[in-house]
Amino acid sequence: MWSFILRRLLYNVPVYLGILLLVMGLLRVRNPVYAYLGKNADEKQIAQLEESFGLNDPFIVQYGRFLWKGLRLDFGESWKYQGTTVREKLLASIPPSMSITVPALILTSVISITVGLMSSFYRGRWIDRLLVIAAVLGMSISFLVYIIFGQFFGAFLPKQMGLEWWPLEIGGSFDLWFSMSSFSVFGLRVPYPDINAMTWVKFCLLPVLISVIVSMGYDTRFYRAVMVEECNRDYIITARAKGATKRKIMFVHMLKNAMIPIITRIMTTLPFLITGSILLEMYFNIPGMGRTLITAITDMDYPMIQGFTAVIALLYILSIILTDVLYALVDPRVRLS
Amino acid sequence: MTGRLLRSRGARKFRRNRLAMAALGVILLYFATAVFLFFGGVSMEATKERVAPKHTPGFFQTPDLDQRLAFAMHFISEVDSATRLASRRDQHPHDILVEKALAERRPARLEPQRYDELLDEAFGILEEELDLVDNIADHPELEPRVERVEEIAAAFFPMPTGWEGRAYWSRTFLGSDAAGQSISIRAIYSIKVAFQIGLITSVISVLFGSLLGAAAAFFGGWVDHAITWVFSTLSSIPYLVLLSVLIVVFFGTIFDDPERPFLSLVPIYVAFCSTFWIGPCRVIRGETMKIKELEYVQAATAIGFGRVYILLKHVIPNTAHLMFINFSLLFIGAIKSEVILSFLGLGVKGQASWGIMIRDAKDEVASYFFWQIGAATFLMFVLVLAFNIFTDALQDAFDPRHVD
Amino acid sequence: MIQRAASNAEPILTVRNLTTRFRTDLGLVTAVDDVSFDVAAGETLGIVGESGCGKTVTSKSIMRLLPEQVTRIDPKSRILFKGVNLATADEAAMRSIRGDKIAMIFQEPMTSLNPVFRVGWQIDEALKYHTTLNRAQRRARTIEMLRLVEIPNPERRVDEYPHQLSGGMRQRVMIAIALCCEPDILIADEPTTALDVTIQAQILNLMEGLKRKLNTAIVLITHNLGVVAQVCDRVIVMYAGRIIETGSVHDIFHRPQHPYTQALLESIPKRGRREHGKRLPTIPGIVPSLHDLPSHCRFADRCRYKQDKCIAAEPDLIETGDGRAYRCFYPLNQAPAAPTVGAR
Repeated sequence: MWSFILRRLLYNVPVYLGILLLVMGLLRVRNPVYAYLGKNADEKQIAQLEESFGLNDPFIVQYGRFLWKGLRLDFGESWKYQGTTVREKLLASIPPSMSITVPALILTSVISITVGLMSSFYRGRWIDRLLVIAAVLGMSISFLVYIIFGQFFGAFLPKQMGLEWWPLEIGGSFDLWFSMSSFSVFGLRVPYPDINAMTWVKFCLLPVLISVIVSMGYDTRFYRAVMVEECNRDYIITARAKGATKRKIMFVHMLKNAMIPIITRIMTTLPFLITGSILLEMYFNIPGMGRTLITAITDMDYPMIQGFTAVIALLYILSIILTDVLYALVDPRVRLS
Repeated sequence: MTGRLLRSRGARKFRRNRLAMAALGVILLYFATAVFLFFGGVSMEATKERVAPKHTPGFFQTPDLDQRLAFAMHFISEVDSATRLASRRDQHPHDILVEKALAERRPARLEPQRYDELLDEAFGILEEELDLVDNIADHPELEPRVERVEEIAAAFFPMPTGWEGRAYWSRTFLGSDAAGQSISIRAIYSIKVAFQIGLITSVISVLFGSLLGAAAAFFGGWVDHAITWVFSTLSSIPYLVLLSVLIVVFFGTIFDDPERPFLSLVPIYVAFCSTFWIGPCRVIRGETMKIKELEYVQAATAIGFGRVYILLKHVIPNTAHLMFINFSLLFIGAIKSEVILSFLGLGVKGQASWGIMIRDAKDEVASYFFWQIGAATFLMFVLVLAFNIFTDALQDAFDPRHVD
Repeated sequence: MIQRAASNAEPILTVRNLTTRFRTDLGLVTAVDDVSFDVAAGETLGIVGESGCGKTVTSKSIMRLLPEQVTRIDPKSRILFKGVNLATADEAAMRSIRGDKIAMIFQEPMTSLNPVFRVGWQIDEALKYHTTLNRAQRRARTIEMLRLVEIPNPERRVDEYPHQLSGGMRQRVMIAIALCCEPDILIADEPTTALDVTIQAQILNLMEGLKRKLNTAIVLITHNLGVVAQVCDRVIVMYAGRIIETGSVHDIFHRPQHPYTQALLESIPKRGRREHGKRLPTIPGIVPSLHDLPSHCRFADRCRYKQDKCIAAEPDLIETGDGRAYRCFYPLNQAPAAPTVGAR
């Protein structure tokens, strides 16, 4: 098992090096300092920034230095936020992102696997048709529209109607919530007791719900297709010939086989939730990974972009490796080969 | 290659699927509109022209009083500056106004002194009766006065009739946005932008990706390793981040100029193409791996045909159905991604698009004005839905492994 | 009664007018058309035919294992088993019969076992549904079954996964699953087709031995006449969804009455009969598509004795009283010289 994990890790090293090469290369298509400072920057400023960022060295040296420092999570200092290191920004933006993505992933998976199973269990009946149609309709609407109307109906309208008890808040005070109610240990922000279930519901439930609704269409369709595909396997006929009930076949025989694609789906969604939440974070002003990165991109804050992509890509690759390991745990064929 | 596909069993199955044929019809209708727009059916200027008071609701409901007043004053101040210029140049005001057809409303030719009379009356109403009020929208009793100002504006610029009247109707029946621009015209014009982005990026991505995928699987060895490495690298960067970085590279160049709307789409093409090819590449690679083992390919090898010939003649044509499916999937992806990028301020610049409209509309929702987001969402929804149904039917008909 | 079992024992399964239709993209097709036969206790009945002739559909119709949404078993069909009409029995009744009274094994041992469960678990499952044994007793029975199907080292094999076993081993496990509840009938759908020739013989011998031991009737579905000759008592020959000839193995092999049966027999390579330079005879043409079956004799287009009458009407199944029946206007090997053409 350990050699399996090690092999997967080694296989992904060139991919990871490639990602860093690509991102750093792209960022140097135009002189990053000019891009950051704009057209009318003075020479001294430029020279100073170039020097401090080591942009005068050959690319390969810069690349090596980035790797070496990256090993110690040292990505330098942000240009935009003087005096703040990229690492601090990174660590500060993880809890807000996670407070949305983790519940969203769990909810989405539980709901859509259940719905997908139900749909395939009643394949061809009206409830299945209804779910299939709903999924296609849902998939045809833009994410943005879900966010806008989610906020409108989820928070704005109830407040306008004067429902005092309505728990959901229009994201706006998010920034404040996170910056005030947490403290820092080793540079990592830890939620302060002020962040409790009630305040979580107030600020995070709405974006979580929106994200769940958006992914529902895609996920239920996928899980249904997985189960329907299992329906056509030979071992299902064997099980029926044994006298197994439809329920037993579905929830014992098929589900265990379907675990493989289900795990893959969930694992590959992990990093996508970081990016998928870019929109939510932008819209609800959540100071998470996604928003910080996109803001850095539009601000041309190069150390931030490099550092964030390096970490996000690392998480992505680790999730791929984790998927392979989980595979091996579920499928006896993989484990022993 | 296409002919073989159209005669296949899958194609017959597809043609029997009524829903899919309806979806195809909708797509073709949109496509025809896009072609019509591309050849100048609606000019870009028309999408930017002020045709109605700000935030006019659709179906000819009346907007707020203050907006009506502002829109009427828009015409009146136009006439005001024209009369001043005319008196300086000693011309008839109409000679100066004649160039200005404001939203199909052409200036009427009045007696020269009539201009001053009407202007005086309008400014009189404005300054003496309406200017004292804080928020005209809260004072419905002032409506007759605003109506009078509107009548004066209509005297200068009469409501169009006949063919022009119909054109004016088509511009205002879905209301107007925050700049008084026609929502209907902008939403329709966006079809062209969507098809431009969708067609260009998905055609290039599918061709490029399929070729690479087929080559990787067919030649194997280092070719396969290199291509696999490139696409696993690209797909390990979150998609939106990669898109944003690719687009930001173009910032500050001539491709970042709202004044050149066609050039400003180039970063989007580049960004989409460099991420979209991965999907078809993966699929075609897998399919080619299988085809390579089939007897007829091995027979062709045994006969002594060249490898490139076999690849082009025997392998790629047999993946045509997958290319169509991927094309359709990427088209949906392109339309949706355009909306998201436009929201982030990285998308379309200088012209209307559904993404721009939805972004502009996000604050209108809070004042219960749904016309802009509704129009953009509806047109986009119908197109994406048609493509979704079309893709499903394609997969159903051509991809035996796909299950519904 | 259309046709009596060779042994005079009371039949335990009586199939009458079985007609199974499928809804397909190209319309409704009749895969099995008006099939009637009996299975007597303890006998081995072979159903023979080319692929697509309806033999598998017949067996799955009896077990009601066909996909419900697309299958229509004609209401006038009767499948009588111990007084129950399986054609119309509800799902719960079918479940108590499947695996317990009638069991089935399949062609593809590689995919017929669930890959993610241990072999023992999969045998145990059938016992769980149909017996009242407790866990320890079931485990003992599972190991006993594995020993019965001659799997070496059953105590160890019971905890292995299907992919750790060879194809022949997996088919033995399938047989163990099928026989663990001592069913009255075992339907074997091409049980040896996917296996090596040497393994085929072992599996057939195993089935033959177990049949004697447990007194189970076997319905063996195959396209391999050699297999039929080896193990069957009686044979049904099917063509394009219909029975075209039935009889004892001896009669079918030595005095085939339908030209199709004769052609099938001729296409088996035989030791000693092979002449150098002469090709093995084949049947020209292909089986008619179920989508457009001819209204005349379904074999006529490929028949070397074809007459005008053959393309004018479809012959009925004619019983000759000695347990034999044929569906032909001009049967071969008739005792009196009937107006047959080409009979020798």
